[in-house]
Parts: sequence; structure tokens; C-alpha cells
Amino acid sequence: MSYFNFLMKFGYRNIWREPKRALIMILSLSLGTAYILWILNFAEAGSKEVIKEFLSQYSGSYQYTHPDYYPAGNTKKFNAFATISAAEIPSEQKINAIPRVVAPVFISGNKKTLGVLLNGTLPEEELSLSKLNSSVKYGRFLDPKNSNEIIIGQSLANKIDAQIGDEVALIGQALDGSVANDLFKVVGLLDFGGGDLEDSLSFTTLFSAQNFFVMNSDQYHQYVNFDMERPAPASSTLRVTTWHQLLPEISVSIRFIDGFTKIVCIVVVIVISLGLSNTLMISFLERQKEFEALNIIGASRWWILGTLIIEVFILGTVALLIGLVLGHIFTIINFYYPINLELFTNGKPMFLGGMLIHPYVKIFPVAKYYWQVSLLIYLFLILSMIYPSYKIMNRGKNAV
Amino acid sequence: MQFELKNVSKIYETGQENITYGAKDVTLTIKEGDFTALVGPSGSGKTTLLNLIAGLLIPTKGEILHKGESITHMSLEERTTHRLDYMGFVFQDYQLLPVLTAYENVEFPLQLKKIPKQEIKERVLWALEQVGLSQLKDRFPKQLSGGQQQRVSIARAIACRPSLILADEPTANLDSKTSQEIIDLFKKLNSEHNLTFIFSTHDQRLIDQVKTVLYINDGQIAEVKEHQ
Repeated sequence: MSYFNFLMKFGYRNIWREPKRALIMILSLSLGTAYILWILNFAEAGSKEVIKEFLSQYSGSYQYTHPDYYPAGNTKKFNAFATISAAEIPSEQKINAIPRVVAPVFISGNKKTLGVLLNGTLPEEELSLSKLNSSVKYGRFLDPKNSNEIIIGQSLANKIDAQIGDEVALIGQALDGSVANDLFKVVGLLDFGGGDLEDSLSFTTLFSAQNFFVMNSDQYHQYVNFDMERPAPASSTLRVTTWHQLLPEISVSIRFIDGFTKIVCIVVVIVISLGLSNTLMISFLERQKEFEALNIIGASRWWILGTLIIEVFILGTVALLIGLVLGHIFTIINFYYPINLELFTNGKPMFLGGMLIHPYVKIFPVAKYYWQVSLLIYLFLILSMIYPSYKIMNRGKNAV
Repeated sequence: MQFELKNVSKIYETGQENITYGAKDVTLTIKEGDFTALVGPSGSGKTTLLNLIAGLLIPTKGEILHKGESITHMSLEERTTHRLDYMGFVFQDYQLLPVLTAYENVEFPLQLKKIPKQEIKERVLWALEQVGLSQLKDRFPKQLSGGQQQRVSIARAIACRPSLILADEPTANLDSKTSQEIIDLFKKLNSEHNLTFIFSTHDQRLIDQVKTVLYINDGQIAEVKEHQ
């Protein structure tokens, strides 16, 4: 214990031989640590908020369908004949979920006919669980008491030349084998910021859609769940499709952003390590004569290296603790004062998957990043010591 | 018999075909209680000889023995441990660790040897008492004069109770009064505790007061002078 205490005392005092240099090293390492921790927390929260914002508008987190609803697993194609009933859905999965009828139809306005995806849904549930209502910029949302009302995208309305109050004709494949066709009254126009979804989505009430496709009242295509926190459960009888499978391009983008953030963090750590390595090098070389004297007295080169490692680790640990506390404080500040991502786009709207989103990122601490950042900093402390240590060991050898 | 140098030569290659002898066929026996000065002009080979005895240099030819065991064939780390176990060093510029107090500087080699805490305390206090610095044990080197720093350096050298103390120009940085005090201290340690000293020096006062003077020239012992 006495020997260990002596080593620690020796290492600690050596750090403060050059107080300004030690403070600069601690400051750079702690600010780097704080930045990395904050940016990782920000990226995690940002991804979650962006995904939440995007998914809560329409897609939901995951959905139950008949196993054959997406032919061969292709989520861009729909088999309208593959339906499910409410009884097939586990009761706990009906909470935070909206049953929908979703199938392709042709829509005709005054000018032309185009293909769209008709969504039959429950307006009250959409109002409480999704943000679809907030995307209706003109007209109003669906009234559950009225039948054959439709909401379409603003861009689609322009293309087929349909205004609010106009009737549009829908033609599709009914489940009884007949041709489904009916007139629907446009009551609202969706504004997704001009994105792709404005051309391809239309919404009516569940009842109207079931009537249109000649389905009974307990026949649905999808049970869309909006629970963003829990993972999708497995099902032996139904197909469970997550948003990652439904929107693979969004999933890839988010993963790219996460990966990129981590690369940026590693680059920051490398840059700090190089600076640290250089400072350590100067500090060690200044003490070269002292090391030689220590070696003459009887301290082995490994002992000398050991004391240097202790110095760097004491310094690194102090800086790391300060950095983690600072990073945590910054994170908590942005928990109470969320960051508007539009700050990074000069106030211009953000699009994701053809949808306009307005995310406010409430940053929250993510436990795993605290130990991951600590390990990363220690790893790079070791790396930053390699070259100075190599020089010390080699010089010692030459001197002896 | 303590240390023995048998036909030891050290050759420095200074160019493609240029070689210089740091030591040339030196044969020397260092016995317990010796109080010897290596004297000679700069570049004569005094420091080379000290470094060879210390195991800091490996001879090109010949052998160095301690208690019959060859130092020459020891590994780098073994030679370091050998120095720690059997030798003390006093430097011209003291080489105290600035971050440690006088007490801790003396404690340093004892800690390296992992001696029990209580024994370390006894040895450090004994060594500091021998050099007359018991009262200043808590001072850092920068709070001590040159002479006091050299006393701490001597205390550090004797604390391990070495077989041999090698001192390289120990009085070179000191004024004449302090130099004499340090020489008196060396003499006291030699006579009272039978400690063995080898000095490399230009200081005539020290040369006059040692028991044996070895005059070194071109790496060879040119003359041996015994003082009564």
C-alpha cells in the first residue's frame, strides 16, 4: 500500500509540475468528452424524435397484417383480399393502435385519373394517436358521422384538378370480385410540404372504405400501432411489419446519420489524442535527463513508464469525470430547453420520407454512452501514450 | 573483495574507421572502505570508468565482477536492479526529484526496493541525520541551497546501505566552503560507516583528502597514488 501510495503521490505531483499545461490538457480532454457525450445523446434523441415525428404522422411504429397482405414480403404491393379481424389481434396490442383498410385505387378528378392508396381509418383514433390531422392544411379532417368523405394530398388535388367540396370518383377492386366504384367528397387537403406522399395517399373513414371494398365491419388490412417505446412483438399467425421494413430508406438514412455521428466523435477523439500525444511528448522529453538519473539510481525503464502511465491516467480520469459532468449538464439543459432542428436548416422545412417534419429534440441522457465514452477516452489515452512511451523507452536504452 | 575490473576496455566508434578508447585494458580492484578519486583531464575516461563500474556501459572487452558475479553478462534490467541493490550515486547537479520533499527523495530508492514502511522511515531518518538535514526533511529541493541539495543526494545514496557509492564531480557546482563541508561529510561516512566511495573529480581539495588517487589518461590508469 505504501508503495502504491508513493507511486500515486509521485504521479499526481508530476502532473502539477506545469500547472498551466496540465490545466490545458484537462480542459481540452474534458471539453472533448463533454462534446462527444452531448453529441451522442443529441444524435440518439434526435433520431428518436425525428422518427417519432415522422411515424406519428401516418406510418406508426409497426403493424399487424395478414401474412399474405404484402405479396412475397414486398411492402410496396398490396393483396387487398388478405384481411384480418379484430379477434386475431392480442388485446394489449389494440391499445395505441388504429385499424385501417389500405388498398390501391384509381382516383378521378376533373382533369385526370391517377393511382393512389386509399386509407380507411377511424378519425377519432387518428386524432388521439397520430398527427395526421395536423397535416390537413385546407378544409377539415374526416367526420366519423359522414360517409364517403375523402382527404387527399394538395399536390394530387392539383394534378387531378379537384377542389375542396368537389366530388372525385374512386375505382378499385372489391373483395367480392366486383369493380368497386363510388363518388367521394373532398373535405380536406393534406400538406406534406410537397413531398411524395402528397401524390400517393388519400384518407376516408374506415366505414366508407369497408363499404367501398365490400368488406364487413370486422375486416381490416392493417392494425397500425403507434407505441414508439416498445419493440414490435412477434406473432405466429399474423405478419408484424416494423417501420424499418416499411420504410427501409428512412431506416438506412437514420442509421447513416447515427454512424456518421459516431465517426465524427471518433475523429474528435483522434484529434484530441494527437494534441495530447504531442503535449505528453514535450513533457516527457523535458524530463529526459531526470528519467536517466532515475534509471541510474535503480528505477527500471518499465518502472519509469509505469509512473508516466499513472500520471496520464490520473489526468485522464480527472478530465473524463469533469467532461462527463459537463456533458450531462449540457444534455439536461437541452432536455428542458429542446433544440428545434430547423435551427440547422435556417428555418426551412425538413423532409423525411416525403413528409414535412418539425422536430424539437429533447435531449436525454443515454446510460450506455457514459461508459462507452469513458472506454473510448481511455482507449485513446493509451494510444496517445504509445509514441511518447516508445521514444522514452528507446532513449532510455540509448542512454544506458 | 567487492568490485573487480579485469582487462576492461571500452571502444567508441566515432567514424567509419575512427575508434576512441574510453577505457583501455583497465584492471582494478575496489575493496570495502576504499575512498578513491579518479582524476584526469576532460575526455580522459573518468566518467566512462564510473559508468562501466555502474553497469551503465558494457565493456567492449574484459569483465567486471561483483562478489565474483559478472555484471557484464547481466541484462539491462538486471543491471538496473544490481545498481539499486548495491550502489549509491551522487551527481554533480544533485538530480533530486523536484516534486518530492527531501524525505521523499531519500525514500525513493527504498520504495523501489519495496522495503517495509517502518524500515523505510528508520533508514530515511538515519540517512538524513547523517547528512545533518533532519530539520529540513519536509522541504522541496527548490527550497534548499545547492549544498543542502547535495546532502539530500548523499542521503539518498547511503539510505540503501550500498556496497559502493559512485560520485561524479560531487563538488563541482558548490562554493569552496560548501565543497569542504561535503568532503568532510564523505570522509565521515567513510570512516564511521566504512562506506566505499569512488569519485570522479577535478577538485584538488577532494583529491588531497582521498585515500587513493587514480590518474586516468587516454582511458588507462596512468598512475596510482596512495595518501597516508
